[in-house]
Amino acid sequence: MTAPLNPALDVGRFGSGHAVRRIEDPVLITGRGQFTDDVTLPGQTHLVFLRSPYAHARIVGIDTAAALALPGVLAVYTGADLVAAGVKAMPGPQAFPRPNGQPGTSAPRHALAPDRVRFVGEAVAAVVASSITEAAAAAEAVWVDYEELPAVVDAFAAMRPGAPQLCDDAPDNIAAAMRHGDAAATEAAFAAAAHTVSVDVCNQRLAPSPIEPRSVSAFVNADDDRLVVRLSSQMPTAVRSGLVDALPGLTVADVRVLVGDVGGGFGMKTGIYPEDIVVAFAARQLKRPVKWRADRIEEFLAAVHGRDVTSRAEMALDAQGRALALRVRGFANVGGYATGTGVAIQCLIGPWVSTSIYDIPVIDVHVTAVMTNTTPTGAYRGAGRPEAIYLTERLMDAAARKLGLDPAELRRRNMIRPEQMPYKNPMGQLYDSGNFEQILDQGLALADWHGFAARRAASQARGLLRGRGIATFLEWTGGNVMEERVTVNVTADGFVELGSATQAMGQGIATSYAQLAVDVFGVPIDRIRVLQGDTDRANGFGSAGSRSLFTGGSAVDVASRRTIDEAKALAGEALEAPATDIEYREGRFNVAGTDLGIGLFELAARQPQARIHVDSTSSAGGPTWPNGCHICEVELDPATGAVTVVAYASVNDIGRVVSPTIVRGQVEGGAVQGIGQALCERVAYDAETGQLQSASFMDYAMPNAEGFLGFKTVFDTSVPCKTNPLGVKGVGELGTIGATPAVVNAVIDALDHAGLGAAAEAIQMPVTAERVWRALSLKQFDASPYRAA
Amino acid sequence: MISLKLEVNGQAMATEVAPATLLIDLLRGPLALTGTHAGCDTAQCGACTVLINGDAVKSCSLLAVQAQGCRITTVEGLAQGDTLHPLQQAFMDCHGLQCGFCTPGMLMTAACLLAKTPQPSEAQIQHALEGNLCRCTGYVNIVAAVKQAAGVMTGATAGATAGASA
Repeated sequence: MTAPLNPALDVGRFGSGHAVRRIEDPVLITGRGQFTDDVTLPGQTHLVFLRSPYAHARIVGIDTAAALALPGVLAVYTGADLVAAGVKAMPGPQAFPRPNGQPGTSAPRHALAPDRVRFVGEAVAAVVASSITEAAAAAEAVWVDYEELPAVVDAFAAMRPGAPQLCDDAPDNIAAAMRHGDAAATEAAFAAAAHTVSVDVCNQRLAPSPIEPRSVSAFVNADDDRLVVRLSSQMPTAVRSGLVDALPGLTVADVRVLVGDVGGGFGMKTGIYPEDIVVAFAARQLKRPVKWRADRIEEFLAAVHGRDVTSRAEMALDAQGRALALRVRGFANVGGYATGTGVAIQCLIGPWVSTSIYDIPVIDVHVTAVMTNTTPTGAYRGAGRPEAIYLTERLMDAAARKLGLDPAELRRRNMIRPEQMPYKNPMGQLYDSGNFEQILDQGLALADWHGFAARRAASQARGLLRGRGIATFLEWTGGNVMEERVTVNVTADGFVELGSATQAMGQGIATSYAQLAVDVFGVPIDRIRVLQGDTDRANGFGSAGSRSLFTGGSAVDVASRRTIDEAKALAGEALEAPATDIEYREGRFNVAGTDLGIGLFELAARQPQARIHVDSTSSAGGPTWPNGCHICEVELDPATGAVTVVAYASVNDIGRVVSPTIVRGQVEGGAVQGIGQALCERVAYDAETGQLQSASFMDYAMPNAEGFLGFKTVFDTSVPCKTNPLGVKGVGELGTIGATPAVVNAVIDALDHAGLGAAAEAIQMPVTAERVWRALSLKQFDASPYRAA
Repeated sequence: MISLKLEVNGQAMATEVAPATLLIDLLRGPLALTGTHAGCDTAQCGACTVLINGDAVKSCSLLAVQAQGCRITTVEGLAQGDTLHPLQQAFMDCHGLQCGFCTPGMLMTAACLLAKTPQPSEAQIQHALEGNLCRCTGYVNIVAAVKQAAGVMTGATAGATAGASA
C-alpha cells in the first residue's frame, strides 16, 4: 500500500527558497515536545549534585554516612569513589602550546572533584534517590570538610607572581598561548604609519543560557547490557566518545546516545560535561534509570561560560586611512579548568577572522589563556569571532574618528575587493567569495545612513542623544569537519527518511533539510522525515559553528540525488527498461516517451526489504564566510543614561537561502543576543571570594520582550559560496557577531557627539545606564581593563 | 498527603499531593502534562506559565495545594480538539518559536493577555511578555504572533499576517 500523492499539490512551493512553516512546530506549540526531562522511565531514580561553595579549596574529607541513611537514598558518590572505580579525568588543552613551548596544561578535570575544587559550583558529590526531594535532602546531609584556599578570578591578577596557583604545571596560571603573524613586520608598519589607533576592551564573560537547562537520563538496557544516555546536546557522537574515554570497561559499541528535543544550545551544549559522566556512571552502578535536570543556578555555576577576554588592539594606518597592520594582545580567562575548546576559541578561532573583510597585510595577534577560580569557558554563539570582530570594528570607528572620515567610508577603503577572491588572509584562511562593498552599499541604503542627521536632530528635540553605529564583517563557519554522512530510506508506506548526525537544537535544521529533499524528490514536504539524535543511526561532528546546513544540508542534497540515481536502476528493472531511459519527476519514474511508470514509494514496496536505502557520505570543500553590514541607531537618555536601540538594519550575505523564514529568525534572534552582550549581560564574580554574583535571571540581565522595535533584515543571495554544492554559508552566528560592535559603536557615536570626543571609546560592555550616565554627567569612565602583563 | 480537587484542561480531577509539592511537579509528574516546562525554578523565565482561573501564573512558584478548587489550563488544553488556538497558529505562521522550550509559557501568558485585553497595542504585548524569557527569537516574531492572534480572535482582517506564507 503506498500513500497516494496529491497531483494537485504544487510541491515546489515547499522546496528551497520558499518560506514554509517549520515541520518542528506542530509538536512544540501543543506541548508535545520530548525534551529530556519530559521522559520518565519505569523505576526512574533521580540524581542531585552537591557543589562546592568555595572558589578554591582542598577537600580534606567527605562523610556520606548520614546521607546514605536517609530514606529513599540509593547511593552517594564522591570524587574519590569515581577515581577508585577507574573513572578517568577529562582531557585538557594539550594540543596548544604554553609560552615555554611545552604542551598546554590544566589541572585534571574530574567528573567529581576528588581532592580540590577550583570554582564555586564544581560538583563534589552526587546523590541518587527515589525522588528528587529525597536526593536533595540527602545532598544537604553530605558533610564535606573543606580547607579554603586563596582564590583569584581575574586573569591579570592570576598571572602575577604569588597569585593562587590552579595547576601544578603552570606557576603563572597560563594554560596556553599562541602568537600569530609577523611581529617584526607589524612593528615596522606601526613605526612607519601616519596614524595609529588603540582600544582597550574587556569582552565580558557571558552565560549562554538556553532556556532549557541541561538534563541527562541514563540506563543500562537489560537485553544487551548497553548503556543508553539521553541528554540535551548538540553533539551526540562526541558525548558517546567522551563517555567511552571516561568510564572504565566501555567501548563505543556499548553506548547509545539519544537526543530528543533540545531547548536551545548556542554552543553551550557541545561536547561532554562532567555531569553526563556521573549520571552514566550511576546508572551502570545501580542498574536503574538515573536522571538529572539542572536547576538554573547550576547552569549559571557549572555550564560553560562564553567570551571573557581582555585585549589591547591597535591598528596602523596610512594617511589615506588604509590599514597597514593590526596588533592584538589578548588575555582570555578560561576558568578553573582549561579545555581544548576554551583555548581554541580565543587563541585560534578568533584570530582566524581578526582581519575580517579588510585587506590588512600584516598582523601580530597574541592571545594568552589564563586559568582562574571561575567556571570553565567554552563555546557560546560566535565563539571567538564576536571577540575578534568586536576589536576590528571598534578600531575601524576609532580610526575614522581620528582621521575625520565617515566610518562607512573608512571601511570601504579597506575592504577586500571581489577580484581578490579567493583571498588568503594573514592567518592563512582562504575566503572563497564575498562582495563586501556591495553589502555595505545596500546596508547604507537600508539604514538610510545619509539621512541620519535629521533623525539625530529629531531625537535631540525630544531631549535624547542619538548615535549611529556600523559593523561590516565576516565570520568563519565550520568546526573544520567538512564530511557528513546521510542515510536515506524511501519507505513503502510513503516516506523519505533522512538520517543525519547533525543535531537539531531549535534552529529548524530539519525543515531546511526537508526543503532540500523536496527539491530533489519532488514529493510534498509532509512525506519527508528527518531523523537525528541517535548514535546508533548516524555519527558525526554534530551541530556547532554554523556548520549544519553547508555540510549536512549539502550531504542531504548529494544523498537525495544518489537515491534517485539508484532508484532509477531499480525502476528500470521493475519496468524492464534500461536505467538510462528512466525519467524521474515528482514521485514517479517513467520510461521516457511512454506512459509506462511506477511510483517512488511503490518501487520501494517492491524491494526485498520494502525500502530503498542509500548510505551516502560527502564533504563540503571548506569553511564558509558569511558576512554582513549591520547598522544600529540608539538613543541615550541623558537624565538616566538608559540606552535604547531605536533602529537596526542589516544586509547579510549567507549565499543561497534555503529557508527564508528560518534565516531571518537566526539573524534577528542572534542579533538580540549580541545586543544583550552590548547593553546588559555580564557574569560577575566577587574578586575576593570568587562567589558568583550573577547566578539567577534576576541578577544576570538577559534581553526581554520590552524595548525592541523590530529589525530591517535583508539577504543578498547574489554571492553563493563556492565550496559546497548548495552555495550556502552558515547563518547561525552572524547576527550575534554583528550586533555587539554595531550597538557599542552607536553608543560611542552618541557620546562623542555629546562632547566627549574620542574619550568615549573608553566605555566598556555591558554599556549600562550607569556607565552612560557617569560618562555624560561626570565625564567618568572605568579604568582600562587591560593591564599589560 | 493532602487531597486536592482541580479542573485541569476542562477535566475535573481529584488527587493527593505532599504539602511541599509544587504545582509544576504535579502537572509534569502525576498528571504527565510535560508541555509545561521548568526553566529557572525561580519565577523569572516564565516557561512554566499556566492559567489558573484565567490568570497567567508561574507554576514553579506555587504549591499544588494553593490551586485547590481552581480551574487550570496548560498548553495541552489550549487547542479545541484538532483546532489550534489562534495563538498557536500565529506562533507557527510568524516563526514565533525556534527551540520551543519557552513557547508553552509564552502562549499561556499571551492567552491571558488576549482574554483581558482583546486588542492590545504592541507596547502592551511587550509589557505582558516581559516575564517570559526567550533566548532564540529575539521576541519580535513573538510579538507579531500575538498581534496576529488578537486580530483573528477579534475578527479583524488578516491583513497584518506576518512571516511564513505557506
